[in-house]
Amino acid sequence: MEAIRYYVQGAFQGVKMTPEVLEQQEELIADLTAKVDDLVAQGKSKDEALGVAIASLGDLSTLVSEFESADETPEAVPTATVYATRLDLHVILISIGIGAAVMIASTILGAWARLIHPGAGFSLLAVLAVGIWWVSEAYSAYRESPDAVETRDLVYKARFRKALLVWMGVAFGSALINVVAQTDFWCWPIWVAGGTWALTVKVEERLSRRAEFQAPSSPASED
Amino acid sequence: MGDTPISSDLIRGHIDTIVLGLLSTEDRYGYDICKQVALLSDNEYELKEPTLYSAARRLEGQGLIRSYWGGESQGGRRKYYAITPDGTQTYQQNLADWKRARRLIDRLVSGEAEKE
Repeated sequence: MEAIRYYVQGAFQGVKMTPEVLEQQEELIADLTAKVDDLVAQGKSKDEALGVAIASLGDLSTLVSEFESADETPEAVPTATVYATRLDLHVILISIGIGAAVMIASTILGAWARLIHPGAGFSLLAVLAVGIWWVSEAYSAYRESPDAVETRDLVYKARFRKALLVWMGVAFGSALINVVAQTDFWCWPIWVAGGTWALTVKVEERLSRRAEFQAPSSPASED
Repeated sequence: MGDTPISSDLIRGHIDTIVLGLLSTEDRYGYDICKQVALLSDNEYELKEPTLYSAARRLEGQGLIRSYWGGESQGGRRKYYAITPDGTQTYQQNLADWKRARRLIDRLVSGEAEKE
């Protein structure tokens, strides 16, 4: 029905035509057409049915405002309201779990290749202590307020890039000290620990999208 | 049946649960959901399509429902919604919460303790 198509496209005027907007328009057109067909089947004329169907939609501006305007506006930073302490605890547990697995695998590999010397034990202990402290802090925060809600910026690329740079710097620095001081090969636990820290960014990116970590959003507005 | 139409304010906070409940029985497209709401409420409450689409986008973003395109009809393709396992769990929880709240409100507004 051309009239429905015109009406819907007119309502979305000024909105940037993204695939999402086109899909929303297509859905609205299909639903409106079904409604008009129903009203015609109930005995109304086509014009009358069209008028009733469009009037029953009410104000479309709230829905339309959910989509990005076609005007050149600075890109808003996407945010999410999350259960912060619950999310942080899971992020840390998963990241440290993966880090520990890599650490164990590196230890086995290093021992087999005879690359690990006793000096590594000290840095391994230090990393372990930091890991335990990290988990206990996150667990305490969770126990204290398990339903703490926080709005977070969903900007992970920049954070991950920064974490990788820090990791590379730490890895390079510790390796340099190893070589210059002609000490044991003790730096590998530091490498893994730095990598684990960078990993937390990726883990948080994935978990923050999951429903169980998202706090309820504000109630829907009718009409 | 009351003399005045039900205030949408009373229902507004439960739209997500209503949509999840309707999808828990079968996959539905937008207009079908609105029709079911009218039918179940004996036309006392009308869920408008824009409100439904906003709720559906929110629920889909939370992973509680998913959508897919059905076959062509006269007006084009229909977009269907289906509940996910997370959505089913959330629906059961919301339903239990609602029943508890209803009992409590009944007691509060009547000013009487529940009779055993």
